[in-house]
Amino acid sequence: MSMTTRRLFLAAPALLGLAALAPPARAADPESAAAFVDTMLRELLTIANGSGTLEAKRAALAKVVDARVNVEAVARFCLGRFWRTASAPQQAEYTQLFRRWLIRSVTEKVGEYQGVTYTMGKAARREADVAVSTIVNRPGNAPNKVDWVVDAEGPPMVIDVIAEGTSLRLTQRSDYAAFMSRNGNNVQALIDALKQQASAG
Amino acid sequence: MRVAVRTWLSAVLMMGALAACATPPDPADPEAVADYKAANDPLEPTNRVIYEVNDGLDAVILKPLALAYRNIVPAPAQTGVRNVLDNLASPVVLANDMMQGKPKRAGDTFMRMIVNTTLGIGGLLDPATGMGWPKHDSDFGMTLAVWGAGEGPYLFLPVFGPSGPRDAVGRGADMALDPFAWIGQGRTVNALGYGRTGANAVDTRSRFIDDLDKMRAQALDPYATLRSLYRQNRQSTIDEVIADDRGTAKAGRRPAPTR
Repeated sequence: MSMTTRRLFLAAPALLGLAALAPPARAADPESAAAFVDTMLRELLTIANGSGTLEAKRAALAKVVDARVNVEAVARFCLGRFWRTASAPQQAEYTQLFRRWLIRSVTEKVGEYQGVTYTMGKAARREADVAVSTIVNRPGNAPNKVDWVVDAEGPPMVIDVIAEGTSLRLTQRSDYAAFMSRNGNNVQALIDALKQQASAG
Repeated sequence: MRVAVRTWLSAVLMMGALAACATPPDPADPEAVADYKAANDPLEPTNRVIYEVNDGLDAVILKPLALAYRNIVPAPAQTGVRNVLDNLASPVVLANDMMQGKPKRAGDTFMRMIVNTTLGIGGLLDPATGMGWPKHDSDFGMTLAVWGAGEGPYLFLPVFGPSGPRDAVGRGADMALDPFAWIGQGRTVNALGYGRTGANAVDTRSRFIDDLDKMRAQALDPYATLRSLYRQNRQSTIDEVIADDRGTAKAGRRPAPTR
């Protein structure tokens, strides 16, 4: 064995040891992302199943959404390539409308959360995020596989929900893209449609 | 059912005759081109027409039937119907599990068939799930995907709805693979076959009433949203099959998962 190999040989365990001791490079490693999702789900279900008026519950749920979901990032993703063609006021108005839509779809059917339970599954790092798997059980329904995607590079917040293999933000993006392509790629048309949707019910 | 296979073929051929093409975007705009390719729906104008027709038929025929079924038939009876229909479908599921090279999944289906047909009183009950042989879906479209076929451009089929060349061919193959399509003849057999097809349609539709209503109320473009949902859901089912290594040579070679 030559001198260099022997030295390498000796150095290797030391290097490996160092690597193991090194702190995680990112804020949201799989474990903390899973803990984050667990906390969020507990918050949501505690509010929905707790006492209080429907209005109070809705307001409390909206707060959880604002605190745990990176609404602006999701909104931006859903607008896709049109984000850049939108003016600054349009971006702001769209984001506001998107937030209203998101909060409404979370809080609209508070009753559906009654008796809901969940079990935490695996959390796995993907490219720039961590996917946290859960199984959500709603009484009288087959268990649903729901993955919560937590940003691992930006602020550790939820950026997507994948229910039974269908991603909320991808579905929303393709909806908006199709609407835009049939309305002259005009961001204002989308904003108007979202406004109408928000005032409709 | 033989008639059904033939009807199926002519419906697929008709699609070709009806085809009108979507206008591709300006090639100078690479992002618009990327969106167009991602949608992969060159027959969009035709597909949208068929979507509208289906939607109309659904509103006057299938949805009212499904609503009545869901609201009138007691829940245990609905579960029984679902179990019987699943059990009748298991030979096709088994054949596809085997063609996909998934011995554990094929084993699950085989045990389900035996246990549910006997202990489960002709498939009315589903004791197999509790015994560790849960239900899974499997069809020839999935088999073709496991064999490497891509989904191809989007097709919205009359009556059947969201599909593509791979899944449309798969559907036809599944009909031909079904032993019940070939056993017996005469009026009673035909009536049973149609009854089963109808029950399947109503039962399946009844389980999507709320989801579809919600989707229609929320989507700005329900056609495009359904397209996206169908494709994502299909892909995730296929990914699940491909990832299921239990009992295959691959499972032995692969190191244990670290996470």
